[in-house]
Amino acid sequence: MLSQDMMRTLVKLVCLRCKRSLLAAALCVVVSQAVAAEDAREITESEDRPVAIVVHPDTDISNLTMQELRGIFLAEQQYWPDKSRIVLLVRAPAAYERTFVLNRIYQMDEAEFRRYWIKKMFRAEIPSGPRVVFSSNMALGLVTAIPGSITFMLASDVGPEVKTVRIDGKLPNEPGYPLE
Amino acid sequence: MLGAGPVVAQTEADQSALREPPVRIIGFADFDYDTTDVHGKQGFSLGQAVAHLVAPLGDRLNLFSEISATAHDSDYSIEVERLIVKYDFSDRNTLSAGRFHTPIGYWNTAYHHGAWLQTSIGRPESVKFGSQLVPIHFVGLLFEGEFPGDRGFGYNVGIGNGRHSNIARAGDAGDINDERAWTALGFYQPRAIKGLKAGLGVYSDRVTPPNSVEVDETIYSAYFALERETPEIIAEYHHSDHDARTGPAASGSADSAYVQFAYRLGGDMQRLKPYLRAEKIDVDATDPLLSGLGLDYDGAIAGLRFDFAPYAALKFEYRDEKFGDLERENSFLVQLSVVLARQ
Repeated sequence: MLSQDMMRTLVKLVCLRCKRSLLAAALCVVVSQAVAAEDAREITESEDRPVAIVVHPDTDISNLTMQELRGIFLAEQQYWPDKSRIVLLVRAPAAYERTFVLNRIYQMDEAEFRRYWIKKMFRAEIPSGPRVVFSSNMALGLVTAIPGSITFMLASDVGPEVKTVRIDGKLPNEPGYPLE
Repeated sequence: MLGAGPVVAQTEADQSALREPPVRIIGFADFDYDTTDVHGKQGFSLGQAVAHLVAPLGDRLNLFSEISATAHDSDYSIEVERLIVKYDFSDRNTLSAGRFHTPIGYWNTAYHHGAWLQTSIGRPESVKFGSQLVPIHFVGLLFEGEFPGDRGFGYNVGIGNGRHSNIARAGDAGDINDERAWTALGFYQPRAIKGLKAGLGVYSDRVTPPNSVEVDETIYSAYFALERETPEIIAEYHHSDHDARTGPAASGSADSAYVQFAYRLGGDMQRLKPYLRAEKIDVDATDPLLSGLGLDYDGAIAGLRFDFAPYAALKFEYRDEKFGDLERENSFLVQLSVVLARQ
């Protein structure tokens, strides 16, 4: 089966190259619905799986409390203890992980989340909002490449190249892990 | 910025670009309709177009600027509203230089020139742009800090030029006298209570209006804000003391206060956010700086904000107001406000 990223790319290519073709439009609709169905299936399948918090492997952090994690995700804390800047990577809308994190960490809906970051930038409190990533693979690639970065993904998607952070002393799949 | 955008290829160059954020621009604009039962300007108008630009200058050094274009009868005025170079010593301590919105009370530093940001169509009368009651802008240095621990106590202290001889403006090109203005504000913002912020502040300056007496000004402020959607509550109070230093002995004071309440509806109505605001301004007849300017005000507004798109809002507002000695005025306003927030 095609990956979601490949299917989205296919949709874009077809739409761009054959804008005026009714046939292409119909194809776009069919493929888009297939992607949506894939997303929906993933969300359903993801519902029981914990979300892991991962950081760049050189980040000198192994445990965060939920309050500290919330402070980092709200950009109230913008620097690690070694004084390097925290780079927050957030999944694009519609991903299960994003919805989970908005509910559990931010306690906001999408609209509140957008307003929060615009206000934060406009109040000169932060130089930029979170960077958007479009897949777990992309999140893994960037969190490995960017020093100081932190992101979240399904625990089952975490690779050996990144460091998983304990939350309140627990790792994903351990009893009492707060991001189940 | 926060939604779906162009897919970022995982090349080394792109990763480098992600490491060093590029210049970012947020744009705001509003388009208004105003009708009133007293003679005056009515009809459609362009509000302000605002560009907010953020640029990293170094690892901990950033530039924030806000430039507005405001429609007038025969032209537009372009204004550098804020221009701030800010250095982060840490998460808790920052030092900024430039032109700020004066940290007096809540509204002036929470909402800036983008109408989309605030729930209502306009700012409260006491802190409106061009206010003579409260100095809206401040040119100088500002240190912002938080006390150690997670209790949420913080402060801002600043020194700068204060008011220009036109008291509605800041001394952008230099102070009008030898006395710098200073401001100090302490606040409480507990992390455990989402959106809560309360503070007390003081601002002091020597004001030199043209063809008038030199006046020492001290403004005390207090505020309470619960910046949530369900509910949003903002209450703010200012008390200004003015003492003439030259000419006949004179002193007086001015008081202003407002309370705003808003509540975003739930379920299928969650795009709607009704709001109410009541406000009063009272200036002593003996005040050597502000009397005779017609600043007394008594007003109430009721409105409805409709967020019909993620980055656009329609606001409908009814106002019942009395300005100075003028007859009472009823008006109805509609505003379309938008924000351009993509990278």
